[in-house]
Amino acid sequence: MPDVYAPLQIKEGELIMDADRMVLNAYDASAVEEALVLKEKHGGEVEVVCIGPAKASETIRKALAMGADKATHIIASGDEEYDSASYAKILSAFFKDKEYDVIGLGKQSQDTDSGLTGSMVAEHLSLPYTTNAVGLEVENGNLVVKRQGDSGQEMIELPTPCAVTCSNDMNDPRIPNLKGIMASKRKPIDQVEISSLGIDETELQADTKVTSYEEKPARQAGKKYEGEAEEVAREVAQLLDTEANVL
Amino acid sequence: MSTILTYIAISDGKLKRSSLEVLSHCKSLADAAGASCEAVVIDANASSFIEGIQKYGASKVHVVEDPIFKNHMNTPLLKALSKVMSSINPSVFAFASTEGTKDVLGALAANQNAAVIADVASFKLIDGGVTAKRPVMAAKIMNNTEAKSDKVLVSVRSGSYDLNESPESAEVVNIDFSMDDSEMKSTLREIISASGDTIDLNEAEAIVAAGRGVKDEDGKALISELASVLKAGIGASRALTESGVYDPSLQIGQTGKVVSPQLYIAVGISGAIQHVAGMANSKVIVAINKDPDAPIFEVADYGIVGDLYKVLPPFIEEIKKIKS
Ligand SMILES: Cc1cc2nc3c(=O)[nH]c(=O)nc-3n(C[C@H](O)[C@H](O)[C@H](O)COP(=O)(O)OP(=O)(O)OC[C@H]3O[C@@H](n4cnc5c(N)ncnc54)[C@H](O)[C@@H]3O)c2cc1C
Repeated sequence: MPDVYAPLQIKEGELIMDADRMVLNAYDASAVEEALVLKEKHGGEVEVVCIGPAKASETIRKALAMGADKATHIIASGDEEYDSASYAKILSAFFKDKEYDVIGLGKQSQDTDSGLTGSMVAEHLSLPYTTNAVGLEVENGNLVVKRQGDSGQEMIELPTPCAVTCSNDMNDPRIPNLKGIMASKRKPIDQVEISSLGIDETELQADTKVTSYEEKPARQAGKKYEGEAEEVAREVAQLLDTEANVL
Repeated sequence: MSTILTYIAISDGKLKRSSLEVLSHCKSLADAAGASCEAVVIDANASSFIEGIQKYGASKVHVVEDPIFKNHMNTPLLKALSKVMSSINPSVFAFASTEGTKDVLGALAANQNAAVIADVASFKLIDGGVTAKRPVMAAKIMNNTEAKSDKVLVSVRSGSYDLNESPESAEVVNIDFSMDDSEMKSTLREIISASGDTIDLNEAEAIVAAGRGVKDEDGKALISELASVLKAGIGASRALTESGVYDPSLQIGQTGKVVSPQLYIAVGISGAIQHVAGMANSKVIVAINKDPDAPIFEVADYGIVGDLYKVLPPFIEEIKKIKS
């Protein structure tokens, strides 16, 4: 995804990013981290899959440098107007004839926060799934997920194969070290064309479309009260009552 | 006549206010478009909520009642929602953007081959679909997203619309539901509930939110006291939910909850973009921070520059005086 922290501008409804760089989504980084932890505990192999234009290969290298074993880069030109549903269809077509125990995904992407793709993929592949995972364990070959719900955490047991979308509250993704970075250069990245996945192009046409961008109605910064703590505390409390009317 | 359907979420045995906000909005959309405004409630005690739903103008309330819906689980909920959609065939199906909704929305769209726009700040009908405004790029800006389809799912952030009562003697439609154990794809083992605080942050009129500046039990006690004087919910920044000082359910921000109370008091919170993403729509924001350059002051209506341990005691005392 594009770097949400890079400077941006809106010109006539279009979004213009100053830096043309792609970064690894924080929530996906947590999914990669958790996969590596599971591998360290239980063995197995960690493979990463990314749909993106050529420049997305940097983010794939990052996941490999963290410790993933191999990668598949599903090549998109970057000009397609795909939405979550299109991406989910591409991923599902890719996974259809693959063997895996767990598909881990980010619970949302930092730029759009839609959070739809994970459960779409699960539905297309008829997989048991859960979202917003904040913890994972393997017990008796099943995945036990701690999911952050609306008011509490749910402990959910899923048979494999299954899909799970990860929160960044799950872990702190490791920062690749030099050794990891060097090793990543030798790891294989399989390049796959979308057209080779056997999906009808019209299937991928997005039902949703971003038509324009706009500034948020800005909040005016209010007044800052500095000085003796006791005094300013009482002053602001009074203002909340008499001026803001919120007490 | 087309149908605009609203999903009414039940949480901890109560109607979620955020879904009634969505219903209020759908009622006005339906009236303007000459569409039928209907609601669906899916719960172990679904029928007990019908009256509460009628107040907000649904002309039909669809009820799916089954013990399996006592706790949130995505397999039965998805099955029920799919059945509801196939039988009612709404042109728009609107949800409050709760964690429960987020767990099934994408899957439902895939299952029903419907277009979907998640987590919007507002939406309206256009020819052939829906257009919505969504906060994007860590909520720095908004975009306009259009969905063109005869079936559109949309989920709405809490606090986006006001409650608007328009009582209607709704027709009640019971929808049969049964689920075999063998259909369950996963097992819910247990629920670890948030300890103590029961005020739903999405519905709280006031929130006192603690950040890393709140360092110890004394600090937590001050937060609790301020919250209790204000009858406020307690929220927290990621710094304090991550370190286990506060329950993870209390996290406010991009990863956590999006809230919009009348009064939000940020105590010892720096105002990182991901935190602000979850609270910038609060009506009045107060920030207490010892760093005069903390970014939280850029969004605060009232900024108190000072040590929270020195500011909070007289602040609490003064509010007590005002309240008595
Ligand atoms: C993808 C992503 C999602 C995220 N989602 C969220 C989210 O949902 N919610 C969230 O909160 N964060 C989120 N974060 C983390 C966020 O970036 C910040 O790290 C976090 O909000 C910082 O919390 P804080 O303000 O409490 O701590 P800090 O940034 O450490 O700030 C502490 C503040 O306390 C002040 N302070 C210290 N002592 C005192 C005192 N005695 N009196 C007064 N003031 C004092 C300091 O001046 C400082 O401003 C996310 C990050 C990422 C990358």
